[in-house]
Amino acid sequence: MGRILIVEDDERIRSSMRLALEDEGHTVEDVDSGEEAVRRFSADPFELVLIDLMLPGMDGFETCRSLRRHSTVPVIMVTARSDTHDVVAGLEAGADDYVTKPFVAKELSARIRALLRRARSDGAGSGALTFGDVEIEPDAGVVRRDGEEVHCTRTEFRLLCELAGHPGKVLSREHLLEQVWGYDYFGDGRLVDVHVRRLRTKVEPDPASPRFILTVRGMGYKLAV
Amino acid sequence: MVRSRRSDGVPPAAAGRRASRTRSLGPGLRARVTLAFAIGALLLSTVMAGITYFVARQTFLSERQAAELRQSFANAALIQSALRSPTTEVTQLIESVDTLPGSRSVLHAGGQWYATSISVGQSAIPAAERTLVLGGTPATQRFTLDGSPQLVIGVPLPAVHAAYFEVFSLEEVAGTLRALAVTLAAAALVTTVAGAGVGRWVSGRALRPLAGVTDAAVAIADGDLDTRVEAGDDADLEELASAFNRMATNLQDRIEREARFTSDVSHELRSPLTTLTATVSVLESHRDQLAPPARSALDLLRADLQRFTRMVDDLLEISRFDAGSAELSLDEVDPVELVHRAVAATASVATDGRRGPVAFPVEVGPGVEGLRLRVDKRRVERIMANLVENADLYAGGVTRVLVERRPALTAAGGVVPPDALRVVVEDRGPGIPDPERTRIFERFYRGGRAGRRAASQGTGLGLSLVAEHVRLHGGRVWNEDAPGGGTRFIVELPFAPTGPTAASAPGAPGPAPVGRTVGGGGGAAAPRVRT
Repeated sequence: MGRILIVEDDERIRSSMRLALEDEGHTVEDVDSGEEAVRRFSADPFELVLIDLMLPGMDGFETCRSLRRHSTVPVIMVTARSDTHDVVAGLEAGADDYVTKPFVAKELSARIRALLRRARSDGAGSGALTFGDVEIEPDAGVVRRDGEEVHCTRTEFRLLCELAGHPGKVLSREHLLEQVWGYDYFGDGRLVDVHVRRLRTKVEPDPASPRFILTVRGMGYKLAV
Repeated sequence: MVRSRRSDGVPPAAAGRRASRTRSLGPGLRARVTLAFAIGALLLSTVMAGITYFVARQTFLSERQAAELRQSFANAALIQSALRSPTTEVTQLIESVDTLPGSRSVLHAGGQWYATSISVGQSAIPAAERTLVLGGTPATQRFTLDGSPQLVIGVPLPAVHAAYFEVFSLEEVAGTLRALAVTLAAAALVTTVAGAGVGRWVSGRALRPLAGVTDAAVAIADGDLDTRVEAGDDADLEELASAFNRMATNLQDRIEREARFTSDVSHELRSPLTTLTATVSVLESHRDQLAPPARSALDLLRADLQRFTRMVDDLLEISRFDAGSAELSLDEVDPVELVHRAVAATASVATDGRRGPVAFPVEVGPGVEGLRLRVDKRRVERIMANLVENADLYAGGVTRVLVERRPALTAAGGVVPPDALRVVVEDRGPGIPDPERTRIFERFYRGGRAGRRAASQGTGLGLSLVAEHVRLHGGRVWNEDAPGGGTRFIVELPFAPTGPTAASAPGAPGPAPVGRTVGGGGGAAAPRVRT
């Protein structure tokens, strides 16, 4: 289905992940370090990257940030720890999602497919959306603030489109997980929280006291009109 | 390692409190110091008062006696000279004697007794005194007449063959002494009370730092391991404070080390588990190409791999609770949908998909429909999954799942509104004997009636995690006999989670079973059944 890069230092995990994902129909390549991953990716972009958080040398967070500087490729973090701290740090580094070891290959594959489907369908949206000094062109996949283009990951972009597409309406985390990530009921609400936070740093004049993307306590998020 | 932690299933703090409550205690240090001060003050003031009293009494009496002696002898001399004259009328003479107020004269002359007072005559004078004086010896004697103290001074007048007696009332002196005694006793009492007060104040002051240490110990016992004692600038306290703080630090280190070890172990196990899970899934997708024995081997491998994974997850979860790092991640959800999905997902896993769709309905009590609840979704899912699994492994499966509002309770402070959600899971097991009702929430505890299947498939941690998850929500969980056999587990989650509460410790007894069956016909709204 898609060309996937696995970044994992444990050889056996790398091989078994590769086996399992290839078995699910993906094309997989693997590297054992963050440095190597950045090198390989710049030479030959992949459609999706799986990064283990604990890598020797350049760790998973750094690798993800490094990839994010030049690419909006979907990134899934692979972590042995499901603690809030690690998950949030991984998402803050720019990952679109995370999985916890040991993961079920079918489940991981389903998430990969969801992210890939979204990546491919990006750009098939509606007309331009605006709020404040922010202008979104869903078709072109471009966000401008004050006329200047803002660099967003695809997940951030979809999240922004979803919020901007329903101005004034409270959207629950579940709804956003479904619409933006394509996940069912059992997605992790922290995904939404961290992405909203990241989005605010890009489109809000003051991310600490947001004017556009508002938190509705206990309900979800909404775009102020 | 984990098993030994709380082998009695009672949180250490609660156990400590319970022990101190049941043991009969002697008086405390403070009471004893207060008592010692009071007794000391009492002794001292009594001795002082006694000495004061006796010295004062002696002085008063001897002064009075001296004055009276002088007068008596003066009178006696006067009478003697008067009696020498034969013309003297004795009756008039005795009347003319100048006496102190309160004193009465008695004269014995010529074999006759004369007295100035009707009440005090010859008979009032003690016989010994009379004999002595009439025998020619001057004498004084104290005696009591009609309950009042008297002093009699007898002067023999041998020259005129007479004897002169003067009886003085000591009532005035006695009254003064009584007043003094009352004053001194009152002073002793005041001193004693003051001594007790000083003792209490001093001991309180001396024990105040101990109260600080006690508070700190209680805080640590209740799980606040960061608590330390401030020594201030007291050199005597410094040692205790530093020893206490060292102990607390060591304890904290040990607990953290243990929790970290559990956490590290379960993380380390995840790497091989990842490889195993991934490879088994590859084998799984090529199941058709395997020979029957290999297929059976794969099934065994997969089943135990799942169990192993769950165990590692559960251990990690437990280590987070032990380290105190478990936090609620609250989401607003439809509780019915949450329960329904969690139960459905677990049921299909627990039966390896062989049983097909969920074989039991989720009933919904009145007032729950449309309710939104702020809970940690993942934890509530685990609660439901573990309860359903528990029923599957130990009790022949779930017969009924019910989501309802907690009925209004009548408590001491009035009626408690139904501000909590109840999830009831009933099974078709043999029931749980009373002694095991709370013990089954302990780690690795398997009831005496748990079958062999359970021992080989459960992780032994499920119900203890249920208790921890519920506690983190500030809710409660308990079990009771289900009507019609089997056991019902009841989870109560407050509408507004306020954090862990002490009352919800594992094994805390629940309220008396509420005699109410939803859908029993009497209720206003029949439960809606979701399948």
